[in-house]
Amino acid sequence: MPDLTYTELLYLACGAFLLTGVMVLWRRDLRAVIRLFALQGLALAAVIGVLAAHQGDLELALVGIGVGALRAGLLPYLMARALAAGGEDRETRPLVNVSASLVVAAALAMLAYAISRPLTELAPSPATRAVPVALTVLLVGFFVLVTRRRALSQVVGFLLMDNAITATAFLTTSGVPLVVELGVSLDVLLAILVLYVLTNRIRASFGGTDLDELRELHD
Amino acid sequence: MNLVAVCFVAALCACALAALAALLVPARRRPAVTGVITAVAGALAAVAGVAAIGDGGWQVWLPDLLPLAGVRLALDSLAGVFVAVTGAVTVCAALYGAGYTAGGRDRGQGGDDAGGHGGHALDGRITQAMVPLFVGSLLLVPAADSVSTLLLAWELMAITSLLLVMAEHRQREAVREAAVWYAVMTHLGFVAILCGLLAFVAAAGGDSFEQLRVAAVDPGTRSAVFLATFAGFAAKAGIVPLHVWLPRAHPEAPSHVSALMSAAMVNMGVYGILRVGFDLLGGGPAWWWLVVLTAGVLSALYGILQAVVATDLKRLLGYSTTENIGLVLIGTGAAGFFAAGGSGALAGLALAAALLHMVNHSAFKTVLFLAAGSVLRATGSRDLDALGGLRERMPYTAGLFAVGALCASALPPGNAFVSEWLLLQSLIQSGSGAGLAGAVLMPAAVAGIALSAGLAVATFVKAFGVGFLARPRSADAERAVESPRSMVGGMGLAAGCCVALALAPALILPALAPAVVALTGDFGVSVQDVTLRVDAGLSTVSPTLIAVSLLVAVVAVLGLARAAMARRARRAARLWDCGLGPMSPRMEYTATSFAEPLQRVFDDVLAPESDVDVTPARESAYLVERVSFQTRVPDRIERRLYDPLVAAAAAAGGVARRLANGSVHRYLAYGFCALTGALVVLAVIW
Repeated sequence: MPDLTYTELLYLACGAFLLTGVMVLWRRDLRAVIRLFALQGLALAAVIGVLAAHQGDLELALVGIGVGALRAGLLPYLMARALAAGGEDRETRPLVNVSASLVVAAALAMLAYAISRPLTELAPSPATRAVPVALTVLLVGFFVLVTRRRALSQVVGFLLMDNAITATAFLTTSGVPLVVELGVSLDVLLAILVLYVLTNRIRASFGGTDLDELRELHD
Repeated sequence: MNLVAVCFVAALCACALAALAALLVPARRRPAVTGVITAVAGALAAVAGVAAIGDGGWQVWLPDLLPLAGVRLALDSLAGVFVAVTGAVTVCAALYGAGYTAGGRDRGQGGDDAGGHGGHALDGRITQAMVPLFVGSLLLVPAADSVSTLLLAWELMAITSLLLVMAEHRQREAVREAAVWYAVMTHLGFVAILCGLLAFVAAAGGDSFEQLRVAAVDPGTRSAVFLATFAGFAAKAGIVPLHVWLPRAHPEAPSHVSALMSAAMVNMGVYGILRVGFDLLGGGPAWWWLVVLTAGVLSALYGILQAVVATDLKRLLGYSTTENIGLVLIGTGAAGFFAAGGSGALAGLALAAALLHMVNHSAFKTVLFLAAGSVLRATGSRDLDALGGLRERMPYTAGLFAVGALCASALPPGNAFVSEWLLLQSLIQSGSGAGLAGAVLMPAAVAGIALSAGLAVATFVKAFGVGFLARPRSADAERAVESPRSMVGGMGLAAGCCVALALAPALILPALAPAVVALTGDFGVSVQDVTLRVDAGLSTVSPTLIAVSLLVAVVAVLGLARAAMARRARRAARLWDCGLGPMSPRMEYTATSFAEPLQRVFDDVLAPESDVDVTPARESAYLVERVSFQTRVPDRIERRLYDPLVAAAAAAGGVARRLANGSVHRYLAYGFCALTGALVVLAVIW
């Protein structure tokens, strides 16, 4: 494909990736959050697909399909099931309110741009210029982890970080080997299964998944 | 593959096999099977070590065993000495352990409450498997040929020994405290070694010892490396003021482990100092070694002073370890000092004396700790004030302890006499050529050795006399029975080594020569028949002849006395008891009362604490109804140096607890703020 189209498509996919990540902060409805996460998985798969098409690499395309299936299909499905079993479908009072969160996200994006400058300078290319996007999503994911109360939001935050790490890996290198990506994906899947069980156990034992109510457990 | 390689690899395999056997064999046979295989491993290691002293030169590089650096092993003559000693100690301790740990399930192991319930007795899987692993790590430390391998083996040694110290944590509260002290001290020491060696590696640009030896490192870094590693190794060797873990952990560990720790593990501290100081750094300025020498003198004196007033048998032995390793360090420091001054013969003599003393100490400390374990097993007590009368009840143990005690007292015909004599010779012969610092410190060291030797005699007369002679002071001591055959066998083997070392040092000392020559270039002692001759002076000593003449003298005196007795008629009479009626065991000399005069002499150093509580009768302040008296001798260094540190750490921890209020979000926020903070700093300064 021509270089200009490649760059346009890549940046479009990265834009979708970033937008879905930030919108997780905006929506309180957990169902919508899961849908956003699935969309982000699709955007990630699209990023990998564009890279694969540009490099003409079949293995990379297969990895992209696998990543899409896991992050836009299986993981959202698991989370939706957990949500259906629980019934708490709103993030009622986040520790930092929505508008402040969005401001923080903007600040984080600036920080990400500032720190990824040296990385981009190492090997300037359309793909590496998109690294700040991935780092922004990483920081936003961490921020979700810190400020959202429901266990499911925490899982989404964790997965946002993981998506961002995967995106950084694909953007900075010319393709992650299939074995590595398989290993990482399996790890994530396993972590989600564990968290899924854990969420159910927390709810069964304490009647809710607000993590701040667990503070009596220390020592 | 030469003999060294075959035996050494076989020993490591046997250790692994023993650990595996401990996990798989049913509990009834576990101690015997594990013990025997571990003993075989020890014997193989001893052979490998002895062979390595002779020809040495075995090296192997396994690049795939560890990521990045791989594992490098090598056995040279210095490593051979330590491997051989470890192997020999292992044979005795493992055979002994087979009997000592068996049957722990129906017997309260040395505790007040009957322990062993719930599968945590000494024959438990983990405890049994740790002993061969510990032995394996002890073999790997001297065999390591790169910094990463050494650190790995060192950490393995720390962890396995820690788990062994904790073996009886369900039975006794004190075990847990001892384990915490040990864990903290050993890991602080590890950190010091880690920092020192990593700085060395960074400066030298290579990880293997080969590269470190030839590296050109500037003197400042060399001194920093030496001091850091010396602190770390000294902590492992139990050197004052880093000794505090030793008199806690050694008594609380199971006795065969105490023997391994005291006779083999603390040697690794000496090994580290020799390896880094002499071999890797290639000597160095004289002041390094004066630091070592001073630490040695202080340890020898402080260790034996605490030992002489101790009433806990195993604690006494632990302090005696500090004393003896102190003596070894005096030799090491003197050797480095002489080598820096260019007198090779004296350096060789001092180092030979140090190594011989280390070997001797390993031999007699094995006997003593194993015998103390037998006493503990038979009576359930380590308190000398509650023992006594064990000579008739445990004749073998008593006899073997007597051999060990004689050897530990540095009197002829014991083995420590030979090494301390050589040590004194090396210091005395230094003469005026040693410069001002030497001229001041050497006589002081001589005085220190002399004082510690004298106090050692008192210590071991007390330990043996109060512990084994006279009449039992408690019901437990009265019920004591002799230990099973495997335990006596293990002790007997170690005592045999002591006797061999004592009678035939002329045969054994030359075996150390390659190791000493490799480090100092000269041996400094020559052997003529049964006589040891000091090259630097005119002194000679022949332990064999001394022993024979002593034997003749004793036989002659006994014979004359017997002849004189036979002429007079025998008459049975009641013992004079001041008219107070029959004498009871309460009137015997106890360990406390035996040491009291010495405690009084060293009052200012020891600072004993006593507490007198007088309850007067109701009518008059002058008529006393009851007096209770308590006295204890705390470890003053611990009291002054460590207690404030521990209190400060606890206070800081209490403050820091406020940071951790249990909220998951708060913990996550700490991480988030730290990350973004670090990134902002990066973004600003880059």
